[in-house]
Amino acid sequence: MDFPSSLPPSLFMTGPLGSSDVPDLSFMCSWRDALTLPESPPQNCKIAAPNSATALLWEPSMPGPLPLLPPCPDPWDPGVTAQDLLFRGGFHYRRQPQVVLDVTEQLSRFLWDHGDIAFAPLGKMMLENFKLEGGRNRSKKMTVVSAKKLLQDLGGHQPWGCPWAYLSHRLRRFSIVGGPVLGKSVSHLLGRLLHEELATRWEQLLLDEAFTGGALAWLPGRTSQVGQLVYPAGGALDRLCFQEVSLPSGGDPQVLGDPGCIQLQGPVRQVVTSTVQGETLLAVRSDYHCAVWKVGKQRRPATLQVLRVEKGATGISLSPHLPGELAVCSRSGAVCLWTPQNGLQQVYKDPETLVFRDPSSWRWADFTAHPRVLTVGDRTGVKMVDTQGPPGCGLLLFRAGAEASCQKGERVLLTQYLRQSDPESLPPTLHLVCTQFSLYLVDERLPLVPMLKWNHGLPSPALLAHLLPPAHPGSPQPLFLGGLGGQVQLLHITGKEPSAPRLAGPPQSLPSSADSLSAFPLLEPKSQKQLQERLEAPTIGLASAFPPCASTPAVWLFQLSAAGDIFYQRLTLQAASSFHRDEEPPSDPGPDSPAPSVPPMDPRPTPSWTSQATACCSRWLEALLQVPPAAPVWAAPTFSHRRLLGRLEPREVEGKVLQGLRAAMAGGQLLQQRDLGLLPSAEPPPAPEPGPQDELSERLEEAWAGQGTAWCKRQQGKISISEPGKQAKRPKRRSQLSSTFSSLTSCLDLPETSSSPHSLERTTSEARLQPPVTPYSQESARQTPQDNMVELPLPKDTPTSRHVATPPSQASSVQAMPSQRSTPGSWPQRKRPRMGF
Amino acid sequence: MSDFSEELARPGSEDGQVETSVVSGTGMHFPWLWKHLDTVATRGKKKKDFAQTTGACLSLIQEALLKQRWQQAAEYMHSYLQTLEDSDSNKKQMAPEIIWKLGSEILFYHPKSSVKTFSAFADQMKNVGVLNYLKISLQHALYLIHHGMLEDAHRNLSQAETWRYGEKSSSQETLINLVQAYKGLLEYYSWSKKKMELSQCDKDDYAYSTEARNTFRHSWKTSVNFSSLIKTPGVWDPFVKSYVEMLEFHGDRDGARKVLTNYAYDKKFPSNPNAHIYLYSFLKRVRAPRAELLRALQILYQIVPSHKLMLEFHTLLRRSDREEHRKLGLGVLFGLLDFAGCTKNITAWKYLASYLRQILMQNHLGWVQEEWKSRRNWWPTFHFSYFWAKSDWKEDKDLAYEKAFVAGMLLGKGCRYFRYILKQDHQDLWKKIKRMKKSVKKYSIVKPAA
Repeated sequence: MDFPSSLPPSLFMTGPLGSSDVPDLSFMCSWRDALTLPESPPQNCKIAAPNSATALLWEPSMPGPLPLLPPCPDPWDPGVTAQDLLFRGGFHYRRQPQVVLDVTEQLSRFLWDHGDIAFAPLGKMMLENFKLEGGRNRSKKMTVVSAKKLLQDLGGHQPWGCPWAYLSHRLRRFSIVGGPVLGKSVSHLLGRLLHEELATRWEQLLLDEAFTGGALAWLPGRTSQVGQLVYPAGGALDRLCFQEVSLPSGGDPQVLGDPGCIQLQGPVRQVVTSTVQGETLLAVRSDYHCAVWKVGKQRRPATLQVLRVEKGATGISLSPHLPGELAVCSRSGAVCLWTPQNGLQQVYKDPETLVFRDPSSWRWADFTAHPRVLTVGDRTGVKMVDTQGPPGCGLLLFRAGAEASCQKGERVLLTQYLRQSDPESLPPTLHLVCTQFSLYLVDERLPLVPMLKWNHGLPSPALLAHLLPPAHPGSPQPLFLGGLGGQVQLLHITGKEPSAPRLAGPPQSLPSSADSLSAFPLLEPKSQKQLQERLEAPTIGLASAFPPCASTPAVWLFQLSAAGDIFYQRLTLQAASSFHRDEEPPSDPGPDSPAPSVPPMDPRPTPSWTSQATACCSRWLEALLQVPPAAPVWAAPTFSHRRLLGRLEPREVEGKVLQGLRAAMAGGQLLQQRDLGLLPSAEPPPAPEPGPQDELSERLEEAWAGQGTAWCKRQQGKISISEPGKQAKRPKRRSQLSSTFSSLTSCLDLPETSSSPHSLERTTSEARLQPPVTPYSQESARQTPQDNMVELPLPKDTPTSRHVATPPSQASSVQAMPSQRSTPGSWPQRKRPRMGF
Repeated sequence: MSDFSEELARPGSEDGQVETSVVSGTGMHFPWLWKHLDTVATRGKKKKDFAQTTGACLSLIQEALLKQRWQQAAEYMHSYLQTLEDSDSNKKQMAPEIIWKLGSEILFYHPKSSVKTFSAFADQMKNVGVLNYLKISLQHALYLIHHGMLEDAHRNLSQAETWRYGEKSSSQETLINLVQAYKGLLEYYSWSKKKMELSQCDKDDYAYSTEARNTFRHSWKTSVNFSSLIKTPGVWDPFVKSYVEMLEFHGDRDGARKVLTNYAYDKKFPSNPNAHIYLYSFLKRVRAPRAELLRALQILYQIVPSHKLMLEFHTLLRRSDREEHRKLGLGVLFGLLDFAGCTKNITAWKYLASYLRQILMQNHLGWVQEEWKSRRNWWPTFHFSYFWAKSDWKEDKDLAYEKAFVAGMLLGKGCRYFRYILKQDHQDLWKKIKRMKKSVKKYSIVKPAA
C-alpha cells in the first residue's frame, strides 16, 4: 500500500484535552480542507479550479423521509424527559442554570401515589400506638395517639397544594415526635434508591449509549435492486425482522411480502452484517446476549451461536477479512475475539479506561486492516491491540487530548473501521472516531494525528455512521453521520492512495423524520401530538443501499426510530452544473400571489411532496391512530375528587353544557362548541397591540426580510438630515463588513418585495410544525379529569374520604392531579412546600 | 446547533460550565444539555432578546450552510453581524471568530463571490478583534494560493509575518513560524519554477551563471523561513520536502541529512512514515551505504509493514550476506501480505513464491516454520480459500498462479487453492503449473503422510 506522499501540515502537541495553548490549525472550516497545497511544480496550482468542491450534492427527492412499513402496532411512549427528572426553576443569582435532580418531588410523588407501599409496613408496626376511634385519648398509655384528630386536622389538604401551610399544633407535635421514625427510615432508604435511579435515567437521557452502532442493517440481495432490511420490531424491540425490499431505479421502494421474524429474549441494540468471501453473516447485540446468524443462499438466516455476556455487552463487530470472526466487548472491560467454531479468545482486558480515568464502562472493538489486530475503544481513546502479541500492549490510535486538539469534556462516542473492498476507494487503513463535537479520520499507519477533523455540531449524540463506496470510480465517498435525535449529515470524503483523505465539499444535512410532519394532514391536537412524538422518536439505526444504477447515482437511506418505524429517503447525486450555473433571475411574484415554496433567492428548487407521498403518509397515519395509546399510568385518587364529583352531581342547573361535558369526558372525545350548541359566540382573542414603533424591531424586521442595508441607508439618511454632525460612529465597521454580504445580495437585483415570501414561507412551515398552542393545553386540561374519573376507585374503597370536606373552590385541583400522561406544559405553577419544622 | 456560540465559548470560560458532574460524575460535556435545560429552567436568568435573535440567526445560518443555500446564508449573515456589538464580553470576544468561520465559508462557496469579495472580507475581519489577525491572514493566504494568486498570497504572508501584538505568546510564535513557513513554500515554488527554466537554458551561456547565482542566493534566503517551524513538533511534510530540496541544490548535504534525521527520529514528533520515507529516498539519492539504507527501512518496517517500499526492503535484504538479514527478508514479505490492502499485490506474491523456493532449497525450513506458526490458523481462510481460488483465477491468472505456488509450499498439495489452480486447464500457464507441481512436491513444508 502506498502512503500519502505529503500530509497536510499540522502541529503536534501532547497533553490533556482542552488545556493546550496550541492554535487549532484545523479551524474547522470545511473549505479549509478543500484547499490542498499544490505539489512542487507550481504550474499545477493554476489548474486548481476554484469552487470545484461545490460540485457535490446529494439531493433528497422529498422534503423529508417517508415511512416504509406500516407503524408498529405497539404503543410507544417517549419516556421520561428532563422535566420529570430535574429540579424546575434555577436560581436567580446563577448565570448558568444548574442541573439538580429533583429527588424531593419524585419522592413526594411516590409517597402520595404509593403511600400503601411506603407507609403500610410502618403503619403495621405502629398499629398499637394509634387509636383509630373514640374521642379524646383516655388511655393511660402515653404511647397511644388518637388518630381521629390527626386525620381531621389533615383533612382537606391537597397533595399538590401545600400540606404544611396551616399546620395545627397537634400535627406539628406529632411530626416532631414521629419524625425520627416516620421521616428518616422511609425517606432515607427510598431517597437513596431513588436518587440512584434518577441519576441513571438522567445519564441515559443525556447519552443513551445502548444503540451505538445502530440496529438497522441492509443485506444486499442477489440482484442489486433487491435486498433485505434487518431490524428489531415490537414495542420492546425484541423481534428481529427480515423484510425483503426492492428498489426500483425510478420509483418508491416496494416491500415484498411479509417480514420473517425471530423472537428474541431481549431488546435488540445493534445489528451488523458483513459479507466476506461470498458468505453473509449477521450479528446482533442485545443487553446481555450476542448472537450470530449465517444468511444462506435463500436469504434464510440460520443461527450459528449465541453468547451470554454476564456484565452486559456494549459492542459487536464482524470481521471484514475472515468469515465468521467477531469482536465482542463487555462492560467488564474485556474484549474478545469470537469465532463460532473456536469459541472465545480474550484479547484485551482492562477495567480502567485507556488515557485518563473515566467512569464510563462503555467499550468498543472493531477490526483493522490487519486481520489479527483489533481496535479497542472507550470514552477516552482508541488503542490497537495485536491479538497474537503479549496481552495488554498496543499502540494508541486516538487519544482524547491535545494530539487531536480535543476540547475540554470531549469523549469518544463511536469508533468505526472504514472497511474498503474497492481499490479505487479510500485506503483500507482509516478509522472513524466520533465525539460529541467532532468527527476524526485516523489512519492506523500514523496514529494519534487525525488526518481529518470536522466539527459536525450535531445537536444529539452521533452514534451512527455509514460509509458508502464512491458513486463513480474516483469520486468522493459519501459518509453518513447520524445523531440519535434523527439528524443526518452527509460528508464527502476523498483521498485515494497517494493523497491524504479530506473533505471534498461542504458537508450537507439531510432531512430528518421530524421534517416529514408537513406531509401529514393536520390533526386535532391530541393526535397531532402523538404523531409528532412518533416522528421525533430517537433514531436508533441507519442503513443505506446503493444500487449501482446506470444513469444518475442514487442512494437509499433508511432510518429506524425507537418507536420501531422505518423511514426512507432517496438521494440523487446532482451534477455540478445543474444547480450552479442555471441560475435565473427569480420571477417577480405578484403583490398577492401565494408565497412560493422556493425561497426566491435560491437557485435550487426545494423538493416538494408528491401526491403519492402524502397519500402514503395518510395511510400510515390512519394505521398509527388505530394504535392504542400507551397504557395509562396508575394515578392515585385524591379525596377532593370524589367530593367534587359528588357535588357536581345534584346541580342540574347548567344542564345541557354539563351533560355534554360529561358525555364527552366519558367517551374520551374532544368537546367542541357545536356539541353544546348554545354557547355564546366567543369573542375573538385580542390581537396583539402594535406597540410604539421602535427602531430595533423595525430594523430587525427589515433585516430578516433581507433589506437590512436599505434600512440602514434610509436611517442614515434620516439621521444625516436631522443631525448631520452626530452620525453614528459604531455601525460603520459593521456596514463595511456587511457590504461584503450585501454585495452578494445586490448582485441578484431583486425586486423589493421578492424577499418577503421566503420569510413568510418559513413562518408557515414553523407554524405547521408546532401544533397550535392554546387548543392543545385546553385539550389536555380537559382530558385530565376524564382520565382520572375513569380510574377512580369506588368511594367505599377508601374510608378516609369521609373525613374530608372539600371546599368547592378546590375544583382547580382537578387539573393539578398527578397524571404522568398529561403534558408538562399544562401544569399550573406549584408552590414549593415550605418546611414548617 | 442553536448553542454553537455557547459551545465555542465554553472551553475558555470555566465558571460558565453547567455542573453536570454533580450528577454523572464524568466531566463529559454534552452540547445538547442546553436543549434539555431550556425545557426545565423557568426561573433562571432569561436570555436577553438580543441573545435570542442572534442565536436564532446563527442557527439559521448554519442550517442554510448545511443545506448549501449560500444565498440564504449570506442574507442571514448580513443580520448576524450585529453580534459584534453584544454586551456580553465573552460572546463579543468569540464573535469575530464565528463570523470569520461562517463568512469565509459562505464566500468560499457562494457562486457570486469572487476573490476580491473574499479578500475584502478577510482584510476587514483581520482587524476586528486583535487575536485573529494571524489565523485569518494564514487562511486568506491559503485561499489565494488555492486560486493560483501566489504573489498576493506572498504579500499577505509577508505582512502577517511582521505583525506583533502584546507579549509574544507561544501560540503566537507558532503561528508566526507557520506564516513564515508558508511564505517559504511560496518562495520555493517560484524558485523551482526558475530552476526549471534554468535547466532549459544553455549551460555555457553567460546569463546562465548569473541566473544560477541568483537562484542560489534566493534558496539560501528562503531556507531560513522553514528552519524555525520544523523544529516544532508536527507534521511538516511539504515544508521539509522543499527545504531539503533547496538544501541539496545548495550542496548542503549534511544540512539536509540533519533536517531529515531530526524529522524522522525526534521523539517529540509523531511517528510519521513520510519522515522515514524522505530520509530513505535522500539516502538513496546520495548513494549511502547499504547498512544505512537498511536501517532507515527497518524503522519504516516497524511502523508501516504494509508500505510498498517493503518490497524494496526485501530485495535489499535478500541480497545481503548476513543470514539474519535474509531471514528478515522472509518476515518482511509475510508481514506485507498480512494486510488487507496488499492481498492482491502480485509482486509480493511473486517474491514470496520465489523466495520460499530459494530458502527451502537452502534448507532453512526453520525460518519458514517460524513465520508460518502465527499465520497457520488464519492465512488459509484469509488467502487460500476456495472462494479466492475461484475469483483470483477469474480476475488475474498470474496472481492465482503465484498464490497457488505459495499455498502449495505452505499447506501441501492437498490445499484447496492449489488443487483448484492445478485443475484449471490453461495453455499459457500449463508449463509453469507443471513446474510448480514439481517444486511443491519437492519442497513443501508439509510432507504428505507416508
